[in-house]
Amino acid sequence: MELELIPVKTRILTPKDDIVDTIEKYAKDMIGPDDVVSVAESVVAITQGRLVTPEELKPGFLAKLLCRFVPQKGSLSSAYGMQSAMAVEGEWRMTFAMLMGLLAKFVGRNGVFYELAGEQAALIDDVTGTMPPFDKCIVYGPHKPNDVAEAIKQRLGCYGAAVADVNDLKRAAVLGVSKGMQPEKLARILIDNPFGNASQRTPIVIIKNYAKVAAQATA
Amino acid sequence: MDWLVYLIVLIIVIAVAIWLYVARQGDVEVEFLVEQRTEFTLTNINANTAVFNCKVPFVNKGNQDGTIMDCYTRHLLPQEQFDAVELSSWLATEARPRTDGYFEALIVPLNTGETVDVTMKFTAKNGDIRAAMADMVDYTVDIVYQVVGRGELYITKNRMTVTADELIKSLNSSTAKA
Repeated sequence: MELELIPVKTRILTPKDDIVDTIEKYAKDMIGPDDVVSVAESVVAITQGRLVTPEELKPGFLAKLLCRFVPQKGSLSSAYGMQSAMAVEGEWRMTFAMLMGLLAKFVGRNGVFYELAGEQAALIDDVTGTMPPFDKCIVYGPHKPNDVAEAIKQRLGCYGAAVADVNDLKRAAVLGVSKGMQPEKLARILIDNPFGNASQRTPIVIIKNYAKVAAQATA
Repeated sequence: MDWLVYLIVLIIVIAVAIWLYVARQGDVEVEFLVEQRTEFTLTNINANTAVFNCKVPFVNKGNQDGTIMDCYTRHLLPQEQFDAVELSSWLATEARPRTDGYFEALIVPLNTGETVDVTMKFTAKNGDIRAAMADMVDYTVDIVYQVVGRGELYITKNRMTVTADELIKSLNSSTAKA
């Protein structure tokens, strides 16, 4: 028996939607007790209303200054992205993290800024990061992803659930899992981005036969 | 008190260094090159409507990557000037064609650019588009866009003039082909 990854198409989800209700609506009949349900983190965040438009933000002096030290491709490289992170992680935490990050670079250590700046600093998607109509929004990371995953598992009766951040650059991170699931293992399974690009609108991926394959491997 | 002087000098030196860094870094600067646009050509016609299209390149000539968050056309053809047609207009990037008038936010790396397709749809008020456009006038179209880079976002526009000659020429050439 092999794992099978089944993307599930939905309509565009908004802050008016509940992610667990949505999975039940679109995928209930496809999910069995041996399956793991994974859902894209940005879509979970959107359904939680965790987004803001740049026009709603007023970048302060620190945001305007600190964003200048973030490489251009980063979501915090704009004053608005930086301000959005400061709004949730705190201005002084971000400033301290930036100072430490710059100092660490002098001794050849990268990534210190994101280690110290807080989880949301690494999860924020700047404008263009998500599908229309949310391409004009800054989207935060999801709130309590472990709880979301557990709620999915309880409602759908599946083997497990996960909230994942995957892209086409072969980067996969599992931000939240239901009890007993291993984030690293799920990240490896999802590494080829079965969620597809945003326009494909497949924010749910069912990992079929996960429990059986895991049992086979153990045996 | 020497240490206080050293501290003040150090702070001033750091502040100047940061200011120089930021000034040298610059920001995004997007421009729609309306003077390089193609002529409007007829792409679709029926008894009542005529649709014209032109291509307008844009570039980021600044020093940083930037994002065009939104972009749209604003045609300026008041009924006081020309009352024979109703005009609607929209644009989309050539690489991502769409017909809903929505502009998907787009990252424009520095020293790069793309092209937008600008569409003008004329609908005759009297039901005969060829007759309605016979006395067409020149008018202007603004390409309005919202840009964000390192600094504060801004909205600006570039204006182009659509000439009656180019529209009628394209309209007549379709008649000749027909």
